[in-house]
Formats: sequence, structure tokens, C-alpha cells
Amino acid sequence: MAEIPNKFDVIVIGAGPAGSASAYYLATKGFKVLMLERGRSPGSKNVFGGRVYVAPLREIFSDFEKTAPIHRWVTRERMSFMYGNELVSLDYEGNDHKSFTTYLSQLVAWMALKAETAGVSIVNDITVTGLLKEGNKVIGIKSGNESVKADVVIDAEGVNRLVLESAGTVPPLKPSNVALGVKEVVKVNPEVLANEFGLGDGEGMAWSLMGDVTSGLPGGGFIYTNKDSVSIGLVMLLDNAISGANDEVYRYVERLKAHPKLNKYFKDSRIMEYSAHLIPEDVWSLRPPKLAYDGLLIAGDAAGFLLNLGYTYRGVDFAAYSGYLAGKAIEQAHELGGMSAINLAAYPKLLDQSFIMKNLKRFNGTNKLMHNRRLFTAYPAMMVSLMKRIYSLDYESQKIFNTVLASAKENGVGPFTLISDGIEVIRYL
Amino acid sequence: MSAAEQRLEDILNNDIWDVDPNPHITVDSEKCKNCNTKPCIRLCPAGCYTMSEKTLVFSYEGCVECGTCRVVCPLEAIHWEFPKSGRGIYFRFS
Repeated sequence: MAEIPNKFDVIVIGAGPAGSASAYYLATKGFKVLMLERGRSPGSKNVFGGRVYVAPLREIFSDFEKTAPIHRWVTRERMSFMYGNELVSLDYEGNDHKSFTTYLSQLVAWMALKAETAGVSIVNDITVTGLLKEGNKVIGIKSGNESVKADVVIDAEGVNRLVLESAGTVPPLKPSNVALGVKEVVKVNPEVLANEFGLGDGEGMAWSLMGDVTSGLPGGGFIYTNKDSVSIGLVMLLDNAISGANDEVYRYVERLKAHPKLNKYFKDSRIMEYSAHLIPEDVWSLRPPKLAYDGLLIAGDAAGFLLNLGYTYRGVDFAAYSGYLAGKAIEQAHELGGMSAINLAAYPKLLDQSFIMKNLKRFNGTNKLMHNRRLFTAYPAMMVSLMKRIYSLDYESQKIFNTVLASAKENGVGPFTLISDGIEVIRYL
Repeated sequence: MSAAEQRLEDILNNDIWDVDPNPHITVDSEKCKNCNTKPCIRLCPAGCYTMSEKTLVFSYEGCVECGTCRVVCPLEAIHWEFPKSGRGIYFRFS
């Protein structure tokens, strides 16, 4: 490690997707940037579900597809509703290269290397413990007894906002703010990817599962195919999990792998890694009072930027793009003469104009929807019983409309509830 | 077929840590005594919290650093922070 100067233009807390993207952008514009990472190397503390949307990353890193660690392009999307030993699936086979699977540890290492090559000083093994302040102005960071100064700090510390909490900028996390994700990455036989998942070279699948995989708790399962492995896990809204999880959380993943209709995908598989992470869920209550302060910007999970639509999650691209916009805002503030909150107000403005806030506003009711238990209990069960009534016949075929009402009734859903939930889904998703 | 569920110890054996000699988790056992629900036991994905006789015991070594315990503890009895100096879990494939 080279001797660290005691003053930088910018200090970035955390070398994750948000931090690395911001540091990279600022270094390419000539800023002297220090990025501090609490892990032994960038990426070593990062966890995600399994898929990243490429467009925002391509905008940040022009040569992204040439060198980034892309495992498989998601050409196949599947959504399954599960009940007991049966499931109903929607399967989409496309051709576009809009999202890809990877290991976030690898992707972040790649992003941080891009930043380093552009001139960012990265120091690993440093846990930032607080903000250095002069009055209300942030003038640097503290790590234990040591401190480093900068004109501006980008807080990209992730969902566990220990630095922002200690500075009094945000309150401690509440269970209703977040979801818990638990994941196994398992090595599978290449034949399983080709034959069971039906994937060609470089083709990937993103699969979301709803229903009794979570014992009816709001949340769901996910499966992503990587180059020669599969990521499988579960997400549960933490407030519901506290009251409703009747078993240790890791067992839900194990049970999913062993499910009679899923175990063929995990034949002879071997666990490579087990991980867990908190996921921003109620993004509006997680949002810090401000995103730009005197000498401070907040990006990525720390700002609560994540979209969960049940069938898909977007966190990494939101994080990276928010970091990129933080970099642009700092560039503009520099031209205006300094890192005051007023000059840095370009950051929330850029966010508002971007897909990040447009998406979060468009889907601002999904958190409410996710708390509708019927979506995770009655409806998956209903889908299964509906299909069974239509397809599992001996002699008499059933009219579809009648079978819908009959399956609804069987699962305790009256016609009016069915209609009002239907309207809610259409309204929020 | 891999239908059999694996034990958490065996699952965690696939992970790598550089264990910090200083625990990054501390638990106020006096507060814990008054907790009837103890959600940490079921919700810690690494099984760091268990009951021994009638007391809650914890181990910080196998922590995967998600931060769930800190959020779910109803009595704020768990103090959880990041391990220092690059210690703790080292993810490679997550």
C-alpha cells in the first residue's frame, strides 16, 4: 500500500457497485479519489440474488460487455406458483441480451479494478467508523482513531448503514424496512444446465418462485443459472418473518432444493458458497431525510435504492447508476465552486430525472402489495388447483370460468376479494 | 439425488472466514433473559444464536455479516458491527 496523502477531492465509503461506479467516473474526470473497503478486496463482502440489468452499466462503462465477468445472458424467464408437490409455471423464452447472471463478488472486483486503473486509490481492510465533521459540514471520514479529509464524501456503505446511523443522519433499521435474502451457490453438472434447464451456450435462466416455498410468508424463492453453477435462495420480508417463520431460515433453501419438482435441477450438486444479505424493501421509509448534505452524498443500498416487483429485483444497476450520478453531481458542484449542499443538490435532481426515481415512483405501492398474504398463500394454491381441474381429468372437462371460481372458493377467496386483489395487482405492478 | 437436506454446519463449511480475534457481536444477556420470542435464533442465517439450557449463547465466528440479528432483536440486546481490518467472511461466488 502506497503512502496515503491526507487530503483527497473525494472519499468513497465502500467499494461495492455504487462506490466503484462513482469512484470510476470521478477518476476519469480527473478527481483525486480514495475508496475505502472494509473487506480484504472489493467484492468480498458483496451479496446479491443473481442477475443484473446491463443498460445502466453499459452507460457507465463503455466497454462493459467486452471484459466484464458475464456468466450467462438471461434469455429464459420463468415464474412459478407453488403449492404442495405441484407447481404452475409461466415460461418466457426470448433472445434479447438485457440482463445477465454473474457472481457479484466478481463483478464488483471488475468494477473496482476499472476504478483503480482510472486512478482511484483503493485501500482495503479499512472499516469506516464515522464521518469527520466541522459544524454541519462533512470534511472527511474516521476509522478508529485515524481520519482522512476530503472535499466531499460519498457514503456507499450498503444497507447496514452503521456510519450514517452513528452520524445521526438515519435512524436504525427497522424490520419493516428490509427483507432477508438467503442464498446457496451450488456447483451443478453441465448436463443439468443443458438438459434440465434447457440452456444453450451462454444462455441463462432467471426463475422466481412464489407460494409455500416461504410457508406463505411474503417473499419468494429465486433460481439463477451461472456459468457452471446455480444460485438458489429465498427472500422474506423481515417483519413477517419475525412472527411467521417457524423454522431456521437456511432450512427453507434446503427444502426448496429438495422439492420433488425441483430436485432434478440439483442432482449431484455441491454447495460452493452460502450467503445472506439484507435487502432494502420499504424504500420510501429507508430513504435518508436528504441525499445531499454539505460535503456528503448517499448512494446505493445506503440510500434504499432497490426495486422489488416480486418477479424481479433490481439493486445492482440502481446502486451503480446512483453512484455514477453522485459522480456527475460532484463534477457539477465543482464547476459551481464547492461541495455545499446547495451545489450538490444536483444529485437528487439527477436521480429524479433518471430511471431510478421514475421506477421507484411508478411502483411505490408494491411494498403494500407484498404484504397481501393471499398473494403468497391462497393465489399460488389457487393457480395449482385451477390447472389441476383443467388438466387432470378422467372423463368430464370443466369450463374455465367455473373452475376459477371453484378454485378460489376452495382456497377461501370470495369473488369480491378476487376482484379487489386483481385490481390491486394491476394498479401496483 | 440430492434430496436430503444438509445440516447448517455442513453448508457453512463451504464458506471462508478470516476470524477477527475481537468479537464483532456482543449480547447483553441481562436483556436477553426477558425476551420471550428470541427471533435471532430462527432468523440468523448462520445459526449464530442458540439456546443452551435456558440461556441464549452466541458465536460470532461463523457470522455471514447480513446484520439481521441487529434488526430483529426486540430488546436491542444485540450489538453488531462490521469486523475490523478486513476480517470476517470472504465471499467469492455470491
